[in-house]
Amino acid sequence: MLVLTRRLNQSIKIGDDIEITVIEVRGDQVRLGVAAPKTVSVHRKEVYLQIQQENRASAMSSSDVPNLDAVSHAFKNRESH
Amino acid sequence: MRLSARQSIAREARIFAMMIETTRFGTLSIDESRVITLPEGLPGFESCRQFTVVPHPGGDDGKDGPFEWLQSIEDASLAFLAMDPHHVFPQYNPHLSAGELQSLGIEGIGRDSARVYALLTVPKGDPCGITANLMAPLVVNCRTLLGKQIVACNENYGLRHRLLPN
Repeated sequence: MLVLTRRLNQSIKIGDDIEITVIEVRGDQVRLGVAAPKTVSVHRKEVYLQIQQENRASAMSSSDVPNLDAVSHAFKNRESH
Repeated sequence: MRLSARQSIAREARIFAMMIETTRFGTLSIDESRVITLPEGLPGFESCRQFTVVPHPGGDDGKDGPFEWLQSIEDASLAFLAMDPHHVFPQYNPHLSAGELQSLGIEGIGRDSARVYALLTVPKGDPCGITANLMAPLVVNCRTLLGKQIVACNENYGLRHRLLPN
């Protein structure tokens, strides 16, 4: 990992298209501004990790093809009401 | 050099007339129109870029249910149970960034532009406890079949949303 120290209002450039700026420092919180192309996704890491974890859970949960007839049936019953 | 160029073109053409091995479904013949490409893979599976859509087997009256499988072409043992969340939640309206949709070449997730899949998780031994990831749907451009898992900005959609009431 590259570690850089920045002060308020200073920035870091990642490649040509991404810039991260320290917007505010208050106590133990740092507010960061991210300028990146609209096509690049930017998320808090915890969110990204949660998605990753759930994808893995999904893949593992279905290693044996489950019988979902009961579920399909419950959908049909709901539709008919 | 001419020979190897011809060989590589022939190899590419063969991708769409291919049979693949899968651990769940045995040998499958791949239909080009059912191959989805994810240029960034999926979080947790970044190197898995190509998937084929397989209908979920079973169903008592022979009618196709809402469940489908996204079977990895590169990894025989990797497949995700998935479905279009609108089937169970007709009001499902994830707020997805225009920029990320643009990277797929679409402006919205209307039926004529996109297919939307929620990845499903089935608790062991409790199929009726099946949940859908509504927070981060997989969005696929209908025309190009390029896709990406996109995190919705609205906070009320969970990672494990039950399909059936408790």
